[in-house]
Amino acid sequence: MIDFMKYLRLNRIGLVCLVIVVCCPAVALAQSGGAPLGSQTLGRAYWHVFVAYAIAWLLVAFWLAAISRRLGRVEGRVDHSVDD
Amino acid sequence: MNRSRMKKISMSFGILGVAAILLLHYMVFFWVPTELSMGIVQRIFYIHVPSWWVAFISFGVVALCSGVYLWLGDDRLDAAAVTAAEGGMIFTTIGLLTGPLWGKIAWGAWWTWEPRLTLALLLWFIYLGYFLVRRSTLNPERGKRLAAVVGIIGVLDIPLIHVSVSWLRSLHPEAVVLNPDGPTLDESMLATLLVGLLAYSLIFVCLFTVRYSTELVDRATQMQDV
Repeated sequence: MIDFMKYLRLNRIGLVCLVIVVCCPAVALAQSGGAPLGSQTLGRAYWHVFVAYAIAWLLVAFWLAAISRRLGRVEGRVDHSVDD
Repeated sequence: MNRSRMKKISMSFGILGVAAILLLHYMVFFWVPTELSMGIVQRIFYIHVPSWWVAFISFGVVALCSGVYLWLGDDRLDAAAVTAAEGGMIFTTIGLLTGPLWGKIAWGAWWTWEPRLTLALLLWFIYLGYFLVRRSTLNPERGKRLAAVVGIIGVLDIPLIHVSVSWLRSLHPEAVVLNPDGPTLDESMLATLLVGLLAYSLIFVCLFTVRYSTELVDRATQMQDV
């Protein structure tokens, strides 16, 4: 009977060890985010990066164009007032 | 400060800014490693954070100049405030548009009404109000004073945006550089981000000086016409 209990306890420990060994990589994967999110939608992510950088430079260029247009107008007015 | 000196200053900042921008693009697309969990879309971070950095600095300049303008009544301070507000609007718009492009991949949604995003959008509307208030009165001086008050009130939103991630339940990633425990970024990513911050700051200073000197000349010629 005692031998049987020992056998059962050993088996239980073995079973727990087996579960830990099997589950640990799964838990570790879950902790690290599993499959990288970027790779799930990789092609689309490239487009998003491209559009983000394009928006940034278009808006800076828009501000630059607005400033140069204003500068041109002011210089025109200054030249006009000098001629007068 | 005369115009030719302002031109030289803006030119030097512009040349440095363009050089820093080229370096930033090289680092972002050829040097810095891809982040493990977010993948390629994380590279938006290197323009998203600098755009908010410049937006916050410019709205700080708006509030400072507006406060001193209300005190001293110097028209040059109002010119500086309106110039900084214009730049702030541009860079806030960049931040507001690049964030959702990252969020769609990382969160699966373009926009969520979570605290930081909502407060950031509120900041954009406050400074839109700054321009609307300037033109809302028949008396331009009164418009300038009202806009100065809006500029000062608006800057109070910036600390709220910063602390909203840690004080409120927020989806937005926490600060990775201005963190009490120090930067949690990889060294190469931190270096790329710092180059991005420098590049955007230089571009802002260059455009600010050109726009400010134009505004001063514009106001002077208008006064002469009157």
